[in-house]
Amino acid sequence: MINEAVKYYSLNELWKNIKKLSPKRRYIAGGSDIVISHHYDDLNTDLLVDISDIKELNIVKETSDSVFIGAAVKISEFKKNNIIKRYIPALYECVDYYASPSVRNIATLGGNLVNSSPCADGVLALVASGARVVRNLYGKQKLSDIFDVIIGPKKTSLKKDELIEGFIVPKWEHRAVFLKMMPRKIFGISKAGLCVCANLKGNLFKDIRISASSVGPAVIDCKKTSRFLTDKDITNDIINKAKDIISCEISPIDDHRSTADYRREITAVFLQRAIEKFVV
Amino acid sequence: MSKNKYSFVGRDIERVDADVKLLGKAVYGDDLSFADMLYGVMIRSPYPRARIKSIDISAVEDDKDFVRVITASDILGKNGWPVLDDTYPFLVSDIAEFHSQPVAILVAKNNFKARELAKKVNVVCDKLDFNDDIFESMKDKKNIFSNFVVKKGNALEEIKKCEYVVEKEFHTNYQVHSYLEPQVATGVFSDDGTITVYSSTQCPFYILDAVCAVTGFTANKVRIIQTVTGGGFGGKEDVPALVGAHAALASYITRKPVRICYDRAEDFRAMSKRHPSYSKVVYGADKNGRIKACIVKYILDGGAYSTLSPLVLWRGTIHAAGPYDIDNVLIESYAVKTNKVPCGAFRGFGQPQISFSTESLIDDLAEKIGMDPLDFRLKNILKKNSLTATSQKITESIGLSDLIKTVRKNSNWYNRKNLTPSSPNKKRGLGCSIAYYGVGLGAKGKLLDRAGAYLNVYKDGSVCINIGNTEMGQGAFTVLSQIASEMINCPIKNIRFAEVDTSKVPDSGPTVASRTTLMSGNAIIEAAKPIRKNIFKTAYDMLKLSGGKGIMIASDGLFSMGDKVVKFNDVIKECFNKRMKMSEQGWYVSPDTSFNIENGQGEAYIVYSYAANIADVEIDTETGVIDVKKIYSAFDVGRVVNPSLAMGQAQGGVLQGMSWAVYENLVINDGVMKNPGFTDYIVATSLDMPDYDIEFVEKYYSNGPYKAKGLGELPLIAVSGAVRNAVKNAAGIDITYLPLLPEKNLKLIKLRNNNR
Repeated sequence: MINEAVKYYSLNELWKNIKKLSPKRRYIAGGSDIVISHHYDDLNTDLLVDISDIKELNIVKETSDSVFIGAAVKISEFKKNNIIKRYIPALYECVDYYASPSVRNIATLGGNLVNSSPCADGVLALVASGARVVRNLYGKQKLSDIFDVIIGPKKTSLKKDELIEGFIVPKWEHRAVFLKMMPRKIFGISKAGLCVCANLKGNLFKDIRISASSVGPAVIDCKKTSRFLTDKDITNDIINKAKDIISCEISPIDDHRSTADYRREITAVFLQRAIEKFVV
Repeated sequence: MSKNKYSFVGRDIERVDADVKLLGKAVYGDDLSFADMLYGVMIRSPYPRARIKSIDISAVEDDKDFVRVITASDILGKNGWPVLDDTYPFLVSDIAEFHSQPVAILVAKNNFKARELAKKVNVVCDKLDFNDDIFESMKDKKNIFSNFVVKKGNALEEIKKCEYVVEKEFHTNYQVHSYLEPQVATGVFSDDGTITVYSSTQCPFYILDAVCAVTGFTANKVRIIQTVTGGGFGGKEDVPALVGAHAALASYITRKPVRICYDRAEDFRAMSKRHPSYSKVVYGADKNGRIKACIVKYILDGGAYSTLSPLVLWRGTIHAAGPYDIDNVLIESYAVKTNKVPCGAFRGFGQPQISFSTESLIDDLAEKIGMDPLDFRLKNILKKNSLTATSQKITESIGLSDLIKTVRKNSNWYNRKNLTPSSPNKKRGLGCSIAYYGVGLGAKGKLLDRAGAYLNVYKDGSVCINIGNTEMGQGAFTVLSQIASEMINCPIKNIRFAEVDTSKVPDSGPTVASRTTLMSGNAIIEAAKPIRKNIFKTAYDMLKLSGGKGIMIASDGLFSMGDKVVKFNDVIKECFNKRMKMSEQGWYVSPDTSFNIENGQGEAYIVYSYAANIADVEIDTETGVIDVKKIYSAFDVGRVVNPSLAMGQAQGGVLQGMSWAVYENLVINDGVMKNPGFTDYIVATSLDMPDYDIEFVEKYYSNGPYKAKGLGELPLIAVSGAVRNAVKNAAGIDITYLPLLPEKNLKLIKLRNNNR
């Protein structure tokens, strides 16, 4: 049972105090996942450590070749931030599909990653954007691949007290298409999602990164499909081959949200639609 | 619409409960507070079927917040909830028949702690084999809760002579009421030996029966008070009695007030639902396009206990041939036991499922004959003096033909082939459906079809009305205020409806079956008649005395004669000066009907309301996703007492019907619900709303209050058929299931493409 919550405003303050807290402590940022988990599952925690207003986690800043997004930046901010709109179009595009307007105002990108769900819309956009993760444990930073953090459904490699400080996304010339099959027009967990970030020169994909959600144990970086499409002239034949490749690259299952067959089908349809959006 | 001669009836009066609800002042069941209140949480069966051996509380009994656990052996009265029959135990004493069936009540001092402790209680039990399939279950006659027959003419012979015959099987899934306020009740035992239960409910008198049963108290020592109710849709018809009985029992045993408020998951798992259904329907028509015969087999999955299934099934059965004039009808219906959550009342009450089947198949029949589906319906519908499937003669108030013509015109039906889809991968089409709805409880429920009202005018001109039917968000108190105001020419703001309290008003039956405007409206009229006489006579005398000339006009709370005017409040003052009786009881009993349950023939309902819908739908042929763009509807509900509120009911009903048709998919695997919450049980939101084009066509009902009939359920009933027919017309796929999930639709589209 949660009896207490503490809140810190800087990483310094957090690291100075955290070891004194209850051994069952857990972080809370937006709370859009952990509050629901608390309601239905036994989280085995008695203390929430609120990191939502830690200043280092709320920054969006750019360097010459990359953008840093703090882990506690709210999802709805992506729509308002010009740096994100300019350099990480996938994150900008995903906002309209992400949960509900009210959840977008509290949910965070860091939370989306550590919740480690196969349907994570934010992670889907990050993977296709080529993002890397800045982890922090007791003040020690470490840069790692997204898939070093996610190790399975609802499982991460984060150590006790380790948190996501933010994400570093390289600046590269590209556009993004974000597609999500929802169970209704809006507000819903995806049955299948696809994000394509690519740089189309003439009729050739110079750089392309494709990610897929809800079609495997975690968000999938569809490297084979991406590789196949790189430097290819976009023809119907190539699109059909790419659809076959992505169908093999994902591993969807049947559950109460949808069926494996349907998810496979939709991912292929989405790939075709995404490519067509680039070409048009 | 003819010119409205009334001051209040037929007017857009603002909801009388608008302020308290909009400003957050409404006190809901979980907002009530009592000194020393305890909190109850249900301990539930962990399996779809299990022999309960004991309740192990060793992990919680030393906790400072733990009070006690209440089991079947603590029940003072009879361990059987009286709802038609009494087979459903308040708490399981031996075998639990569905997953999450209540086994015990854990009582604790702290609300959050109570839930934590409940998780640690171990239900010691043996897991037993269970059955979740209706066809398997029906093999044993014991598992049939009820069955009905409607037999008119000789359908089996006539169908053989028909030129055109269509036959299909249909399946529909559950629907969850999705009321925002979950089930909640507070039991308060008092030292004077009485129990009061505060409950979120549509039917306080059902709770009264249940509390008497579980405690063994006589009815005069039990009082049920309805709290502001955050939605019902049928989900607060019978099951709040179970929650209320548990709270009352816990309060009596602990001698403290006890609150039981469900969380969403347990509300999903244990409370009633719309029945899943199977049906097989056959229609036959002659070469001129006249329907000659209809044969229906209709089965409802009742879940583990019978509860309201017989009544739900009966209404579905009566309406199962559709609103058509057919000489030969054979309907057989069954409600069947399975080891799943017991199903019960839901807006439409057994009609939407069979309406989906019949309206789908009627469309297919029209197509087979080569007739326009609206022309085909117009040729075959019930008209004045037609006989229904139960051979009931329709003598008045029938607008069906006008409704069909209205939606045909509004939707530009004849131009439908020229509608263009929004993108090349989509197909677009229109589809239609019609429905009728027997207002009130009908022949099967007629013993409950009466209502009382107590109307009390105070000397300051304010008015308090007690009725036995409830406001649950549908606007009943506003509509009934309008009727009362009209009767005594009293300003709306003077009227207050007291919270429904079973000690203050006679048993008025349930607030269901679209009966409240009709029944409580008529009861209020009965109560108001003598008071009206006093008021109008006094006003007349006052005006005469002050020199008024000519006839008296009563309007908008004022009485006038020539240039003389008196206000309602001043007239009331004078009535009190004259020591007139200014409070009255009203009592209304539904007109008697004759019905033979053996062959299902006779007068089933006192009157019917009617609906016609056309849906404009797009389907994405690559994803199977359906987009309901617009719904055109027309309704005949007799006099519309409040046009704005009626429109709200209509839009809400249409959306709830569309949501059931397109989205709502409760998944139960191996007897366990997989999506008990709004994360994964998908309900249409305001952003999924189609555009609406809704009209009312008023065909007056002579016995209705100001000639009104009933509205609440009608708008939902036939929406699914219109959507299905539109998809068929758009993409040429033959859908026989609900919901129309894209996964299934896409398979049909592929099948169709492969067959080409």
